[in-house]
Amino acid sequence: MLLQVSDLAIRSRSGGVRILDGVDLQLGAGEVLGLVGESGCGKSMTCYAIADLLPAGLVRAGGSVRFDGVDMGSLDEPARRRLRGGRIAMIFQDPTSHLNPVHRVGTYLEGALKRHRGLSGTDARMEAIRLLERVGISDAKRRMNAYPHEFSGGMNQRLMIAHALACEPDLLIADEPTTALDVTTQAQILDLIETVRAETGMAILIVSHDLGVIARLADRAAVMHCGRIVETAPVEALFDRPAHPYTSALIGCMPTVDPDDCDPPRPIRGSVPSLADLPGGCHFHPRCDRRMPACGLARPPLAALADGQSSACFNPVPTW
Amino acid sequence: MSRFLANRLLRALITLFLTVTFVFIVLRFSGDPAEQMLSPDATPEAMQAFRERWGLDRSILEQYLFYVRNIASGEFGFSYANGRPVIDVVTERIPKTLILTGAGLVTLILIGVPAGIAAALRRNTAADRITMSLAVGGYSIPSFLLGLALIYVFAVELRWLPSSGSGDWRHAVLPIATYGLAGAAGIARFTRSAMIEVLDQPYIRAAKAAGIAPIEIVFRHALPNASIPIVTMLGFNVAGLLGGAVLVETVFAWPGLGSGFVRAVSQGDLAVVQFMVLIFTAFMVSVNFTVDVLYAVLNPRIRLSDHGAH
Ligand SMILES: Nc1ncnc2c1ncn2[C@@H]1O[C@H](COP(=O)(O)OP(=O)(O)OP(=O)(O)O)[C@@H](O)[C@H]1O
Ligand SMILES: [Mg+2]
Repeated sequence: MLLQVSDLAIRSRSGGVRILDGVDLQLGAGEVLGLVGESGCGKSMTCYAIADLLPAGLVRAGGSVRFDGVDMGSLDEPARRRLRGGRIAMIFQDPTSHLNPVHRVGTYLEGALKRHRGLSGTDARMEAIRLLERVGISDAKRRMNAYPHEFSGGMNQRLMIAHALACEPDLLIADEPTTALDVTTQAQILDLIETVRAETGMAILIVSHDLGVIARLADRAAVMHCGRIVETAPVEALFDRPAHPYTSALIGCMPTVDPDDCDPPRPIRGSVPSLADLPGGCHFHPRCDRRMPACGLARPPLAALADGQSSACFNPVPTW
Repeated sequence: MSRFLANRLLRALITLFLTVTFVFIVLRFSGDPAEQMLSPDATPEAMQAFRERWGLDRSILEQYLFYVRNIASGEFGFSYANGRPVIDVVTERIPKTLILTGAGLVTLILIGVPAGIAAALRRNTAADRITMSLAVGGYSIPSFLLGLALIYVFAVELRWLPSSGSGDWRHAVLPIATYGLAGAAGIARFTRSAMIEVLDQPYIRAAKAAGIAPIEIVFRHALPNASIPIVTMLGFNVAGLLGGAVLVETVFAWPGLGSGFVRAVSQGDLAVVQFMVLIFTAFMVSVNFTVDVLYAVLNPRIRLSDHGAH
């Protein structure tokens, strides 16, 4: 396993609100794992926890993150820093605000090449230009002197991808890389991610609330709800026969023999509960059509069903 | 960029012109200089002679045109008080004021900016709270009171430094400390909040995600962004130093523009007052212009877009 997240918990420093509660994720080398869930369920915090970038108000409350067999918690800060931006690269939603407004494109890329690959001077410059060309930014030489605010959002996301590629990472964490972009640009960025993945064979953890993105890129997907993983499965299985009622509600399409025969999408009943005031047992049970008395009392464990599919539900949707 | 600067330069010139006019109007309507300068028992003939000598008997419009023409050609007239050329009376005081305010500015930057950065990095710790309480204290004391307190401690009680005059460098220490400490308090608070705001920006998290070392994040990624508002604030500080010179130089009996201004006003020496107000304005205008230029240099979003108003 390239990345093994076990029983990861995060809470807020002040109130003790649980943001993540026992999150397990596995990602093999070269694999693409999609992480889906509604806004606020903890997808970004999962990414930040993996890269050790939690905001000041949040703390780890347990669990471990192992990268390539090494517990990240056992590393000292310089060693973790070498991993970040080196073997683990990250791209974000809203690329423009994640780029330093006073740094030129060239400075940004050359910095990464210098830090993690020891390149400098003309070598770094040539390599930076090559990276820009590789992610489809035309007129790369001239644009080395540009500032991020002179680029469109799509170009800035290309730039962040170029920066991520600079260090030839084993793992790319992509937190909603297309959410802030218009539809055409979204498609182009997804194409680009697919291309570089095919070229480099790096593993990708891709976060999105857009099931279409997940279906297109991911090999496997994990569904998150209120800080917990409620289901994980190969993408085809997840879309064809979701086992957790929440997944099935997200997909908005109950399983049938014919996967094309779907109900029209419908919103999930009720509203997302507040993390500060979660219902007991399964956090989804008040909104669930299949709830049983036990659901409000105990937390269902993530249990293996078949073919790499696991679901945290006492009364899963039949998948046969 | 060039359009931005041309725009700012034009604004500066307009400000200067308006000040010239405003000063003229205020001073000419605030009383008859002849009555203020001459003793109450001066004869009407002496009064008349004074008015003729300084052109005060002509129409207001004539006086104004005369005044503007003189200023434009560098003629500032003579001090009513002692007949010396105004330009000499004033220019001999300029370096004195520049030494104090310049050294004061350097001091306040050297104390205020590092203190603000340190407090921002240790946000909500005891060190942060102590620094900020000191800053609030320093910020709320008027600078001349701070000056008096320094005189009391270092000149009267400890007798380490002279309390007034301008003989050697030792005379400059307390007034510079007054400017430096009073200004550092405000800049420390401002730097702290500017740094905190920048450190919370997504691009700082992205920099951490790229494995950049904390010290580099602070000085190469955060500070250049925070320096944009800090420089603007420093511009206000310089303006404050020049304004504060009136009080601080008087407290320390330092023969600069500030104390000279107080003296000229109390003597009703209009020619000198007029020129000093112009000099002050010219300083302010050039400080603002410098800030605008620095702002554009530090902020690529202004530098490159010609329509960049902030
Ligand atoms: N600094 C913080 N302090 C306390 N709580 C936080 C902080 N940042 C985020 N949270 C909380 O953590 C929870 C998870 O946030 P997160 O950003 O991971 O959600 P997300 O799944 O990425 O949502 P989105 O789709 O909107 O990006 C949210 O409920 C949010 O309110
Ligand atoms: Mg998010």
